[in-house]
Amino acid sequence: MGYDWDFGAMAPYMHLLWKGLGVTFLYTIGTVISGVAIGLIVGLVRTNASTPVALPFRAYVEVFRCTPLLVQLVWMYYALPVLLGVSMSAATAAFLSLTLYGGSFYSEIFRGGIKAIDKGQWEAGHAIGMRRGKIFRRIILPQAVKVMIPAFINQTVMQLKNTSLVSTVAVGDLLYQGSIITSTIYRPLEVYTLVAALYFMMLFPLTLVSGYVERRMEIR
Amino acid sequence: MMGSADDVVLEAVDIRKAFGTHEVLCGASLSVQRQEVISIIGSSGSGKSTFLRCLNMLEIPQGGQLRIGAETYDFSRLRRPPRDAQLARLRRNVGMVFQHFNLFPHKTAMENIVEGPIQVLGESPKQARETGMELLVKVGLQDKADQYPQQLSGGQKQRVAIARALAMRPELILFDEVTSALDPELVGEVLTVLKDLAAEGTTMILVTHEIAFAADISDRVGFMVDGTFAELGTPQDVIYNPKSERLVRFLERFTSGNRI
Repeated sequence: MGYDWDFGAMAPYMHLLWKGLGVTFLYTIGTVISGVAIGLIVGLVRTNASTPVALPFRAYVEVFRCTPLLVQLVWMYYALPVLLGVSMSAATAAFLSLTLYGGSFYSEIFRGGIKAIDKGQWEAGHAIGMRRGKIFRRIILPQAVKVMIPAFINQTVMQLKNTSLVSTVAVGDLLYQGSIITSTIYRPLEVYTLVAALYFMMLFPLTLVSGYVERRMEIR
Repeated sequence: MMGSADDVVLEAVDIRKAFGTHEVLCGASLSVQRQEVISIIGSSGSGKSTFLRCLNMLEIPQGGQLRIGAETYDFSRLRRPPRDAQLARLRRNVGMVFQHFNLFPHKTAMENIVEGPIQVLGESPKQARETGMELLVKVGLQDKADQYPQQLSGGQKQRVAIARALAMRPELILFDEVTSALDPELVGEVLTVLKDLAAEGTTMILVTHEIAFAADISDRVGFMVDGTFAELGTPQDVIYNPKSERLVRFLERFTSGNRI
């Protein structure tokens, strides 16, 4: 295999990769924030509300958990505009589908974390005259957050990886810029290897943090 | 000990509670005088813990009346569960200590104790900590203030839980099998604390399997069968001169099991 590696050929196009890296990073941060916000609301409603009220929220979670993100993305971009009669930019469709997809998983993490706390903790709070909201904020949530952290980091790693799917609707993320450069210089091996390395360099530290947090929690 | 009607801290009349079709409480009544110590004994499934949990409305009864201080609840007329705020107000006056401690694991012993006084009674943290330290001294754990629950033994946890209940200065404290989850060698230290509280005139209701202890510290003992009080009277009457066949057999099980 005498392949002649030439990373130098990419040099004139590196600014495109950095731009793509920025887009990937922003999409991750943006959709993690919006996804967590939705997840928190949906998780809280599903934990506290009666079954009929919680039902639409459950339907949302199941629909978005049980369909592939790529299908959701394509549906948002090509099908939803037909339904609503308005066109949607690729960037908006990408943001929306990543948010809703992430939100469905985050909501389950919140719900699971809250449910994991022993009901004796609620009772102990009630027994000293605390009201529900205060028990939730001061007693349940701090414990639930600890339970949630590993799953939360895991989901965030997935969220970053999933942003690569937005390249399919021509949003200029890291993978998309890689494909543009490839079609210009015909060096897929160098380009995609570098793209993969950049993803790795973003995500590996995050999994290290995750491992560290998990170890610390075992000690406490 | 028995005072005027004004000295009644709590009065439960004909309390009924069913879980699904299973009737757990079928008209249990109990009146508690200030400074009185009452123990409730009975086989598991007789409804004694459920009765206790009805007294601070962790379980909402479906029938009967409950009077605590100035407030009266008539459960047969209750259309919907009492409001959260109303229940919280009631529970300030009725403390509870649980079988499994239920300490807040993310808070130190001191933080567990001052949580209610600061968050519910609105005491200053300084004031609450001073009282908290006095309570820790009282339960013999003054050197454990900054320890987390997982660093404490079962007996120590339960003593912190007792201090947490005392910190609210309730009219009455409910003790739900507070020694049942402890290793046998740790039971004594908790019973000692309970005995001290009884001697100081704390109004207490205990659900317990420690028959000899109940006989020792209680003003009255209630024997529960099938969700109602089959016998209720002084330890002399109930434990040493049981009337019903069922109570005789129940007490025999404990004596033969050398727990008395």
